[in-house]
Amino acid sequence: MKKIFLLVLFAVAFSGCEKDDICDSTASTTPQVVIEFYDNTQQSVLKNVVNLKVQADGVSEPIVFNPTLAPITNPERFLFNGNKLLLPLETDVTSTSTKYSLILNSTLPASTNEDFLEFNYTTNTVYISRACGYKITYDLDETNPVVKTDSATLDGEWIQNIDIETTNIDDEKTTHIKIYF
Amino acid sequence: MKKQHTLKFIFSFLLVLSSFIGQSQVENSTATTSTKTDTIVPKTERYGLRFGVDLFKLTRSFYEKDYRGLELVGDYRLTRKHYIAVELGNENKTVDDDRINFTTQGTYLKAGFDYNAYENWLGMQNMIYVGLRYGLSSFSQERNSYRIYNSNPYFGEEPIVVDGEKFSGLSAQWIEVVAGVKVEVFSNLYVGFSLRLNRIVSNNQPDNFENLYIPGFNRTYNGDFGVGFNYTVSYFLPLYKSTVKAKVKPKKRNSF
Repeated sequence: MKKIFLLVLFAVAFSGCEKDDICDSTASTTPQVVIEFYDNTQQSVLKNVVNLKVQADGVSEPIVFNPTLAPITNPERFLFNGNKLLLPLETDVTSTSTKYSLILNSTLPASTNEDFLEFNYTTNTVYISRACGYKITYDLDETNPVVKTDSATLDGEWIQNIDIETTNIDDEKTTHIKIYF
Repeated sequence: MKKQHTLKFIFSFLLVLSSFIGQSQVENSTATTSTKTDTIVPKTERYGLRFGVDLFKLTRSFYEKDYRGLELVGDYRLTRKHYIAVELGNENKTVDDDRINFTTQGTYLKAGFDYNAYENWLGMQNMIYVGLRYGLSSFSQERNSYRIYNSNPYFGEEPIVVDGEKFSGLSAQWIEVVAGVKVEVFSNLYVGFSLRLNRIVSNNQPDNFENLYIPGFNRTYNGDFGVGFNYTVSYFLPLYKSTVKAKVKPKKRNSF
């Protein structure tokens, strides 16, 4: 009887142990590039972009900014309105650049304007924890951090100026790049 | 969540320890009554060296392909209730977690004492004990593969990065609280079971990785705590006998 009692107690003692392998959502994981949009005429004033559609080179779909919109085919899911944009960079450890197409006023064919931004960087693999594994941080290239090109239709560049605030993309707490338009 | 589980574990563990206290008290009362009835017979107890092996680690090496381990245990009876206890072991374990797969291998030594709380009947030498150990481990970790955590799935799910980087020269030290039993099943042959609660004292971590498993300590948790147990078979080598001094009771008689 006593032995059974002991066994039960051991079982109780171990019941407190559960797998702690779910990555905490507050953990600092692979950061995205934080871009802020400013008015080119008054460079300290934030300016909202209108119906911006963003798509990376080699990916079949633009980035979904409004995942709650239904149905899944709703084109408005891809539209970004605001002045602070977070763009993911490729997370392949051997990746050195990510190219994006940014289409301003994408819903109005008359005033649509597409520019390309190419981010050049080197990656670092940084340990987070057992549950989260590793993350990637990016060091933007010193000489050519972001390359801006016009679209094939030569509609002129809507992006007037780019300021690199920091070349170290380690977290999403600070703004990395300022875009003036 | 994690803290809650740790706390839950500590409480449960203390509960287990408390059961031993209860047991020992029960046996104490029977023992004292028995000594009252036969105080004339001189009680001799055997002192010596006990050495054995952890069966759990040994068998696990056979049925688990990601594990190889051996632990040798030994104790020496110092006083009637106190034993010097040592465990020496070697482990090689591959852990396949969701995001990291690694292999740890190394050697460890634990040394300390056991306190036998069990009052034996004449001629018996069983133990229900609590003890303390200081553990040292020297090991290496090989990161076999890992995955990048990316909260934005735009570029798709991350492929597994096959790595193989080796982190050598790692070490850790810890304190271990032990509670267990040892029972003589045949003449001089003992089987034992013990539960251990570990707390890291120092941990020499690698750069850009973590000591996720420490030989002897077992899996590490975020709060420096760990747990372990062993299931031993050991042989007792008697070296000498000592007569147990009868408890001095004249004072009691005088009071009557």
